Amino acid sequence: MITTIFGGLLLAAAAAYITGRGKARRLSDQEKLHSRPVYHGAWTGLAGLLPALLLVCTWMAVEGPVVMRLTAAGLPESIGRMGPAATGLFFNDVRNLLTGAVGPGQVRPEAVAAAAAWRHYLRLGRSLLAGFAALAMAAGWGFAICRIKPSFPARDRVERIIRVILFLAAGVAVLTTVGILFSVLFEALHFFAKVPFSDFLFGLKWSPQTAIRSDQVGSSGAFGMIPVFAGTMLIAGIAMLVAVPLGLLSAIYLAEYARPRVRTVIKPLLEILAGIPTVVYGFFAALTVAPMIRDLGASLGLDVASESALATGLVMGIMIIPFISSLADDVISAVPRSLREGSLGLGATRSETIRRVVIPAALPGIVSGILLAVSRAVGETMIVVMAAGLSANLTANPLKAVTTVTVQIVTLLVGDQEFDSPKTLAAFALGLVLFVITLALNVIALQVVKKYREQYD
Amino acid sequence: MNQNSRPQTVSTAAIVAAGLRKRYRAEKRFRRLGIGAVILSLGFLLLLFGNILSQGLPAFRQTEIALEIEFTPRLITADPARGNYRALARQALQRAFPKVRKRRAKKELYRLLSNGAAFELRRMVLADPALVGTDRRCWLPADDLVDNFLKNPESGKKRLSPRQLAWLSQLHNQGRLALRFNRFFFTRGDSRDPEMAGILGALCGSIFTLLVTLALSFPLGIASALYLEEFAGRNAFADFLEVNINNLAAVPSIIFGLLGLAVFINLFGLPRSAPLVGGLALSLMTMPTIIIAGRAALKAVPPSIREAALGIGASKVQTVFHHVLPLALPGMLTGTIIGMARALGETAPLLMIGMVAFIVDIPRSLSAPATVLPVQIYLWADSPERAFVAKTSAAIIVLLAFLILMNAGAVVLRKKFERKW
Amino acid sequence: MKKLFPLLLAIIASSLLAAGWSWAGGGRDYIYIVGSSTVYPFATVVAEEFGRTTRFKTPKIESTGSGGGFKLFSAGPGIDTPDITDASRRIKKSELERCRKNGVGGVVEIKIGYDGIVVANAQKAPRLKLSRKILFLALARNVPSPDGGEHLVPNPYRRWHDIDPGLPDFHIRVLGPPPTSGTRDAFAELVMMAGAESFPWLKSLQHQDKHKFKEIAESLREDGAYIEAGENDNLIVQKLATDMTALGIFGFSYLDQNSDRIQGALIDGVEPSFENIASGRYPVSRPLFFYVKKVHVETIPGLGEYITEFLSDKACGEEGYLADRGLIPMPAAELARYRKTAAELEPELKLQDLE
Repeated sequence: MITTIFGGLLLAAAAAYITGRGKARRLSDQEKLHSRPVYHGAWTGLAGLLPALLLVCTWMAVEGPVVMRLTAAGLPESIGRMGPAATGLFFNDVRNLLTGAVGPGQVRPEAVAAAAAWRHYLRLGRSLLAGFAALAMAAGWGFAICRIKPSFPARDRVERIIRVILFLAAGVAVLTTVGILFSVLFEALHFFAKVPFSDFLFGLKWSPQTAIRSDQVGSSGAFGMIPVFAGTMLIAGIAMLVAVPLGLLSAIYLAEYARPRVRTVIKPLLEILAGIPTVVYGFFAALTVAPMIRDLGASLGLDVASESALATGLVMGIMIIPFISSLADDVISAVPRSLREGSLGLGATRSETIRRVVIPAALPGIVSGILLAVSRAVGETMIVVMAAGLSANLTANPLKAVTTVTVQIVTLLVGDQEFDSPKTLAAFALGLVLFVITLALNVIALQVVKKYREQYD
Repeated sequence: MNQNSRPQTVSTAAIVAAGLRKRYRAEKRFRRLGIGAVILSLGFLLLLFGNILSQGLPAFRQTEIALEIEFTPRLITADPARGNYRALARQALQRAFPKVRKRRAKKELYRLLSNGAAFELRRMVLADPALVGTDRRCWLPADDLVDNFLKNPESGKKRLSPRQLAWLSQLHNQGRLALRFNRFFFTRGDSRDPEMAGILGALCGSIFTLLVTLALSFPLGIASALYLEEFAGRNAFADFLEVNINNLAAVPSIIFGLLGLAVFINLFGLPRSAPLVGGLALSLMTMPTIIIAGRAALKAVPPSIREAALGIGASKVQTVFHHVLPLALPGMLTGTIIGMARALGETAPLLMIGMVAFIVDIPRSLSAPATVLPVQIYLWADSPERAFVAKTSAAIIVLLAFLILMNAGAVVLRKKFERKW
Repeated sequence: MKKLFPLLLAIIASSLLAAGWSWAGGGRDYIYIVGSSTVYPFATVVAEEFGRTTRFKTPKIESTGSGGGFKLFSAGPGIDTPDITDASRRIKKSELERCRKNGVGGVVEIKIGYDGIVVANAQKAPRLKLSRKILFLALARNVPSPDGGEHLVPNPYRRWHDIDPGLPDFHIRVLGPPPTSGTRDAFAELVMMAGAESFPWLKSLQHQDKHKFKEIAESLREDGAYIEAGENDNLIVQKLATDMTALGIFGFSYLDQNSDRIQGALIDGVEPSFENIASGRYPVSRPLFFYVKKVHVETIPGLGEYITEFLSDKACGEEGYLADRGLIPMPAAELARYRKTAAELEPELKLQDLE
C-alpha cells in the first residue's frame, strides 16, 4: 500500500510538472518569462510532492508504534496487565500472524483478534494517510499553479531547493563524525567513571576479564593500556620496517627506472595487494606465515610464539607496501623534470640524482604518506584478530606474542553486550584512543605536507 | 711546466675514472635494489595467490559415493517432509556391505556418509514424490574424512580405521567412489559439516548489505561532493567539512562498527545481525571514499566548461547539472565501484554488530539474520575441522573473483569515458 | 550519461523503498540461542538438522560463553532476548535471581549430556601426566610456599619441570577460557578447588573461611602463564596444533574432533576418553545444560519442536549424531526424565533447587 501511495504521488507530481510547464508555455507566447517553462513545471511538481512526501515519511516512521498502541488499547484487560515484556511477546505473535509465519491455530485467540485489529488500524491509518497526502499534494499543486506568472522566479526557487538538498547531504558527514564522537566518547566517559583516567593511560597491566558475577573469581581487572598500546606499536613498527623500504624502493624503481610498458603492467599488479580484503591476509598470516616463522625459529633454536608479532607485522607490512608505493610514486612523479635534468646535467648518475635531489624534494610527501600508513597499521583489525595474541605482554621481542588495541576491542565486545561493566566499556575507551591516534597522525600528515611542500610553479 | 702538469692531469683523470667505476657500481646496485623490491613485493603476491589457490581449488570438488537407494515408503512415511532419510541412507550402505553386522563396525560404516546425505535424499523426494517405492542409484556426499582421504591419501589415512579403508577401496574398485563437482558449495548456506557447507547464504547477505550501502552512500556521496566542490565556496564551514571528510576516510573501520553498535543497535533498536545495520555502518564508512573520488572527478572537469556555460547565461545549478556533472559522472562511478569493493571485503565493523552468528538459512530480507562473505571466511578459518581450511580458501577465491570483477568494471569504465582535456 | 543518471537514481530510490518495506514486516519467527562455546557445536548441529527437516527456520546461535549467555538470557523476556541459553555448568543462584528480578518468569532446565574438560597439547609433543594438584600449582595466582610452610607466595613456578621433575622442561603456558565461560567455572571448581584441597592446611581453611579459600583456589595467574584465549575453543585448538609447548583447556568434543593433532593429558592417571568420562572415572567431567524461557515456547514458532529434536534418540541417544561429535550421552532413565520435563515444561527451576 505504501508503494501504491508512493507511486501515486510520483504520478501526481509528474502531472503537476506537465500542467505547470503547460501553463508557463502558454504564458510565454504572450510575454517573456523570468524562468523557462520546465522550471515552472518542476516548481509545481516539487510544491506538491515535498509536503506530501514529508507526510508519508513521518507516518512511516511512527506507524508501527501508533498502530501497536491503538491495538493494545482495544485488547482485553488481562493482556495489558502482563507487563511490557510479555506484551512484547504477545505482539510478536501478532506480527508473525500478519506475515503468515504462524497460522491462526497456533496462537492464543486474543492474538488472532489483535491481528485483525492490527490489520484494521493499519488499513485505516494508511487510507487516512493516502487521503491527507493527496490533499497536501493538491494544495501544493494548486497553490503553485496559481502563482505562475511571467515574473515568477521559478528557477531560483527550484535551485534553492536543490542547494538545500546538497547541503543536507554534506551534513551527513558531519553527523557521522558527531555520531562517532558521541558513541565512543559517551561510553568511554562511563568507563572513566569506573576506572580512573590515569590508571588507564599509564597502567602497566592489562587484564580486563573481570568476574561477571559477584560469586565468581575473575582476574583482578587491571585496565592499564600501556602493554596493549606497546603491542600495537610493535606490530605496526615491524609492518613499517617491511613496507617502507620495499614500498619506497618499488616506487623509485617504477617512477625513475622502469620503462612505461613495464610500469603499466607492474603498477596495477602491486595495487592488487591493496585490494585484497584484510581477512584474507589474516587467514594467510595465521595459517601460513606464522607456522612458517615458528618452524624457522625452531630450526635456529629460537623459541617463537605461534602468534608472534613478527608474523603478524610481516603480513601487515605486505598489505601496506602498495599504500606506500603508490603515494610515494605520486609525489616522486610530481617532482619537476627540471630538477632532475639539472642534476644529470652536472654529471650526477641517476641514483645520485634520486638520492640527493628527487627524494629530498619529495620528502614531505613521503613522510606524510608514511604517517598515513602508520595510521592504517594501527587501525588494522582482521590481521591481528586472526594472527596476533590475546594476552597483553609488555615486551619488545618480536618473537613473542603481543596484543593490540583492535584485538582487545573485538574480544571484549563479541559475546558480552551489556554496557554496564568496565570490561565492555573498556572497548569504547580503547576505541577512543584509536580514534585519537589515527586523527592525530592524519592531522600531522596534512600539516607536514602543507608546511614543507616546495612550490615549483 | 709542461712536464709538471702532465702527470697531474693524468692522475685527476685516473681519480675520476676510478671514482666513476665506483659510482657506476653504486648506480647498478641501487637499480638492482629497486628491482629486488618490486620482485619481492610481487613474490609476496604470488605466494599469497599460490597458497590460496592450491588450498582452495580442491574444495570445488567433493567426494561422493554412489549407492542403490531403495525409497522405502515405510521410512519415508505419509508426509515425505518428515521421513527418516538417515535410515534410508544407512539401509543402502548396509545393502552394499551385507557382511557388516557388529554394532561398532556398523557405526564406522555409517560414518562414511555425510550427514548431508539424508538432506540430499529428502530434497530429491520432495522435488519428485514419484521416487517413493522405486530403486535408484544416487550419488551422495561422503564424510569430510573420506573426502580428505581422497584428496590427501597420506595424511587422510590416519583418521580412518583399517576397516573403513578396506570398504573405501572396495567402493573405489566398483566405481562408486569419485570426486565430483561440489554443487553444494554454491547452493547452500553454512553448515557444521564441512562437506555440506556452502557460500550462498553469505553471498546473499553480502548482496543485501551492499545494496543498502549503495542506496545510501552513492546519492549522499555524490550530493556532498557536488556541494563541497561546486557550491560551498571558501568559508570556515566548508574547510571544516573538508577536514572532517578527510579524517573520516582515515578512521579505522572498526570504529564504524562501534558506532553501529552504540547508535543503530543500542539507540535505535534495529535488529542485530541484519544486513540493514551492516549496510548502514558500511555506507557511513564508504561515503568519504565516494566523496573524495567525486570531488577529484569534478576537479578534473576543466574550468573552461563552467566558464563557457556561465558565459552564455546558465545559472550555477544549470552549469553544474547540465555540463559538469555529466562529464564527471564516469569518474564518480569509478570511485563508487571502488568504494563498494572495499565495503564488500570489509569484516571488522560487521563483527561488532553481531553478523558473526551461525546462520544456515539463506537470508531473504534486509532484517533477517545474515552473514557476509568475509565474515564467513573468518568463521570458517576458525573452525576446527580440517576440511574448512579448503572451504575458507575456496570462499576467498570467490570473494577475490568478485573484487577483481568489480575493479575490472571500474577500469573499463574509466578507459571508456576517460577524457584528456 | 544524462539518461543514465535519472535511471540510477530511480534504481536507488526503489531499493531504498524496498528496504523500508521489508523492514516494516513481521516479528521474530526464528529461535534465538546464545551461550556456551562448549555446547555450541552440539546446538548448531541440532539447529541445522532442525532447520533442514522441519518447516521452521533455522535457529540463530551466537557463542557467548555460559556466563555471557545467562547475562543476555536473564535480561528479561521479550523478542529481543534469547529463548534458550546453553551452559556448560549449572545456572547459579545469582543468575536465576536476576531472571526473577527482570521478570523472565518460568525457566526450565534441561540436561543434554556430559562433557569432560581436557588439558591438551600437540600430538607431536610428549604426553603429559598431570594431577589436579600440579594444575593448581601451575595456574593459581598464589600458591603454598614451596618450602613447605603454611603461607602463600606469589606463584614462583616458571616451568613444568619446577613443579614435578617428571614433567618436561617447558615454560608453563596454558590457553584457557575467560570468566564468561562455563568451562572456566567448571575448571575452577573441579580442578583448582580439588587441587587446593590436597594441601591439608588449605583444606582446614576451607572450613573456617569459605570465601577466602575460594579466592585462593580460583584466582588464576596473570603473569602470562595462563592466557585467556577468548570464547573460541577452535582457535585454541589451532594454536595448540602448531605450538609444541603450549597447553589448552577446553571441552572433550574439541579433543575428539582433533585427535590427530592434539592429545589429552592424563589427569590423576586417567586418560580423557569417551568411555572414561561416561563411566565417571575421569575426574574432570560435568553435565551440560540448556535453559528455556517458558513464556517464549508458545510464542516463538518451533521452539518446542527444537527442544524435542535435541532430546530425541537420533540426536541425544547412545547412537545419536551428537555422540558422534563427542557428547557423552545420559543414561536412558535420566534422558527419559528430561524428555518428560521438556514435553510438559514442568517443573520450573526453583531457587531451592540450586542450594
